[in-house]
Amino acid sequence: RPEHRRETARFWRENRAEAALRERCLVPAEEYERFAQAVERALVEHQRREEQRILQMAADIREAERRQRETVQAALQVEPELCTGPSVCRPTAGPGRDNPCAAEQPGPSGMQTGPDLAWMESGKVLTFIGHQEREGKGNVHTGAKPPWLTEEEEDGSKQQIGPSYEEFLKHKEKQKLKKLPVERVGANFDHTSQTSDSWLPSFGRVWNHGRRWQSRHQFRTESGENKKK
Amino acid sequence: MSFLLPKLTCKKEVDQAIKSVAEKVLVLRFGRDNDAVCLQLDDILAKTAHDLSKMAVIYLVDVNSVPVYTQYFDISYIPSTVFFFNGQHMKVDYGSPDHTKFVGSFKTKQDFIDLIEVIYRGAMRGKLIVRSPIDPKNIPKYDLLYQGI
Repeated sequence: RPEHRRETARFWRENRAEAALRERCLVPAEEYERFAQAVERALVEHQRREEQRILQMAADIREAERRQRETVQAALQVEPELCTGPSVCRPTAGPGRDNPCAAEQPGPSGMQTGPDLAWMESGKVLTFIGHQEREGKGNVHTGAKPPWLTEEEEDGSKQQIGPSYEEFLKHKEKQKLKKLPVERVGANFDHTSQTSDSWLPSFGRVWNHGRRWQSRHQFRTESGENKKK
Repeated sequence: MSFLLPKLTCKKEVDQAIKSVAEKVLVLRFGRDNDAVCLQLDDILAKTAHDLSKMAVIYLVDVNSVPVYTQYFDISYIPSTVFFFNGQHMKVDYGSPDHTKFVGSFKTKQDFIDLIEVIYRGAMRGKLIVRSPIDPKNIPKYDLLYQGI
């Protein structure tokens, strides 16, 4: 503490601030001690309150789930014939699905009246057909090549020279197309072009400086290395 | 009601539909014909198909017959409905976690009609993702269990 005082004195002198100001600016030691203790106590208090709040929320959610399940049971028993559909679906939906789905709507659907509840109930019991495992191939979320762009087998070529009548009809259609808005989706799509595997320009590099071709070059180098390996 | 709507039974047919339906929204319902919620949805699709015929083309696809597509679109709950326009997959923000498809059935025919109209108008303006006009409380809730990002 003494060297701190010396330093503050020096600082004051160097910046030529008023001595009176210094009295007000310095925080006396006891004040500081008091403050530190108060902070600790406040922190402990705050943590306790947060924990209580979370426990309360959990209890509320559990309560709501229970109420909802009971309502559903009651509704299912009241109308047995109508519910043979949904209750057949229920077992196939799997046990794990029931809880998280019920947790989605704790308050409101517990209080909905009959018809609305019936619609959302059968809507909630969506048949679950399993996780779609496609490791190594990717899917729509990862930007993999869509199945309709993968050219696998081609039909045998037509016997006839060419369907000229069809061509004519297509030509008439294309004439009509010219009247449509020019910026619509897929307007200038070249249907005969081939699609490579890197059709989606997602080569990341979020935090980069520099130009786009640099990150593209980087990506190509890395993927080139992978292929050679 | 699903016997009124045309069906696609193999990957090639789905490919063909996506690539050939032009200037209209392509609606692909992935599900099973005998599933309860699918029946509800198919009913709505069948009843609105005629009125929407200038804006949309609707097909039903059985998830068991096109495993490639079931996996590509990560279809874990049925029915799941996917929308395309001119071969481009259209995404819609329903307020649910997954924008790539609509899971479940619609509450009313009008909801579906409104959605098709919004997708069609968005596509005409070049938008690849649009916001759904359906009230979020009418969107079925489900858990998105996607693994392996």
